[in-house]
Amino acid sequence: MSRPRSPLTGWAFLAPYAIAVAVLVAVPVLLNVGYAFTDHTGLTRDPQFVGLANVRRLLDDRFLLDSLEASLFHVALAVPVRFLAAVGLGLLLAAPRPGGRWFRTAVYLPTVIPDVALAVLFLWVLNPLYGPLNQFLGLFGHAGYNWLADPTTARIGVVLMLAFPIGEGFIVVLAARRLLDGRLYEAAALEGCGPFGQLRRLTLPLLAPVLVLLAVRDIILTLQVNFVPAYVLTDGRPANATLYLPVYIFDQVFEFSGFAYGSLVTILLMLITAVIITGLLIAVRRWRVLR
Amino acid sequence: MNEPRGTIRLAALTRSYGRTTAVDGVDLDVSAGELITLVGPSGSGKSTILRLIAGLDRPDGGRVLVDGADVAGVPPHRRAVAMVFQDYALFPHLTVLSNLTFGLRVRRVRRAEADRRARAAADRLGIGDLLDRYPDQMSGGQRQRVALARALLRDPSVYLLDEPLASLDAPLRFATRADLLALHRELRTTTIHVTHDQHEAMTLGDRVVVLADGRVRQVGPPQQVYDEPADTFVAGFLGSPPMNLVPGGGVLGGDPALTLGVRPEDLTRDDAGPITATVEAVEALGSEAILLTRCPDRTRLIVRTGPRPGVAPGDEVRLRADRLHQFDAATGRRR
Repeated sequence: MSRPRSPLTGWAFLAPYAIAVAVLVAVPVLLNVGYAFTDHTGLTRDPQFVGLANVRRLLDDRFLLDSLEASLFHVALAVPVRFLAAVGLGLLLAAPRPGGRWFRTAVYLPTVIPDVALAVLFLWVLNPLYGPLNQFLGLFGHAGYNWLADPTTARIGVVLMLAFPIGEGFIVVLAARRLLDGRLYEAAALEGCGPFGQLRRLTLPLLAPVLVLLAVRDIILTLQVNFVPAYVLTDGRPANATLYLPVYIFDQVFEFSGFAYGSLVTILLMLITAVIITGLLIAVRRWRVLR
Repeated sequence: MNEPRGTIRLAALTRSYGRTTAVDGVDLDVSAGELITLVGPSGSGKSTILRLIAGLDRPDGGRVLVDGADVAGVPPHRRAVAMVFQDYALFPHLTVLSNLTFGLRVRRVRRAEADRRARAAADRLGIGDLLDRYPDQMSGGQRQRVALARALLRDPSVYLLDEPLASLDAPLRFATRADLLALHRELRTTTIHVTHDQHEAMTLGDRVVVLADGRVRQVGPPQQVYDEPADTFVAGFLGSPPMNLVPGGGVLGGDPALTLGVRPEDLTRDDAGPITATVEAVEALGSEAILLTRCPDRTRLIVRTGPRPGVAPGDEVRLRADRLHQFDAATGRRR
């Protein structure tokens, strides 16, 4: 005989997490919204309400436009690249094969390397004189690029670096693929469905819920994790090409004592994230990706 | 060559997985239009044989001939076989209609024609009103019919049914068994049906193939296999309750070189019978009763009687064995 559990038991288990979310997430979010309409510098204790002054500044801010362009370029390139890499490698390495575990380890390894260390490594990879990437291009007769000195190649350089730490998405795809019933593939094979047909008609539709979730997660992540590479590789340069929103927010808040303005840009970043994700979900619904 | 459509020949077919031999030199001929049942305990190689015929697995040795042609190297979809899986393997993200048209669309049949054929197959199996449902919105019996309709649409030479009734509850299994038989009589297409259920084996097949440890132990019409089991394994496997097997003869008549067997229904209560036994348990099944008895030499005998046998645990009964089976004590083979 087990005694019926009190509903309080569930709340008690939830409490530590709920308190942490309230104190570390909800309260800062609300404070952030409040600070966005003040003159708070981060250094004084008595921020004053300034109405829409920060909003007017935001609409007039040409650096912010650069930052927005850099972030949108980054998300448009990095999300598909990371997504395709994670899904492609996950599906490729899901089946048991000789040496498979070594390949899987190799794919996951960059994820456990600290961002700063990876960025320093990419300083070497992208070095125009002795970097392996230019040497590789040299094999095909290409003169190579001055990667971090040109606005476009600098942005591509950051995307290249972030194309490697894809371990979490990779693991999720790997696990989800392994959960699919092998009989379905046998039934499809009996119907004459080859490997690409199986990928198109079975694997991708069956994984769709997981893939949509991964895409949403990667959009959120990608808009934020470019901070470290941008700071280490390019420091927002050249010509503000890598002045991504997180870098711009950091600069405003901690370099220029513009805590209030930085808070407002944070809200903008959140809104942009929400708009992109909403667009994705509308596309998913329209294309009937999910049942 | 020139064999009629639907013949299957397995010649010395062998398949191992690591150190485990799943199929061990199986020879079998299936005639066109025949319904044959492969029966055996779990791990006896039944499903592996189906997979080898379907081309979902490759043999280590031996040959599979479909319609007289060796199908080694022929991909599954070119083998003119259709398979119904135990769990039906319906595509969960597709409606019934899309499940049925899946293969047709892969084979580039135009959508309108594919839909027409799918609807005809669905109507034939009585699932025409389920075409918009997803597999998880249907009962086990309905899913099984969808799987059968999908197989039907392939218009194969041979149907391979891998325990298609195993997931159904008892009443539905009974009804579906009859439906399967009716469908087979209508189509007259060669069918290989795998089961571990001896009721299915006895009632469904023109012939039954008893398998154990990857080897064929006996092939024949169900009643013949039941009446004249080739060895002690078949004797013990077919029949419920199983045949009473007494090594050395014992209470059934001593001969150390023999194992004697008697079916529970061939043991009759007879006050003048030579066997004395004590009833340990009575299983009343309504239409009949099963007596679990123990002889003085500890031999256990199972007796099938009519309903309401009028005995209770602890009672002594005398029994007469009407029909004995003799097996070699060393090899277990029938004598």
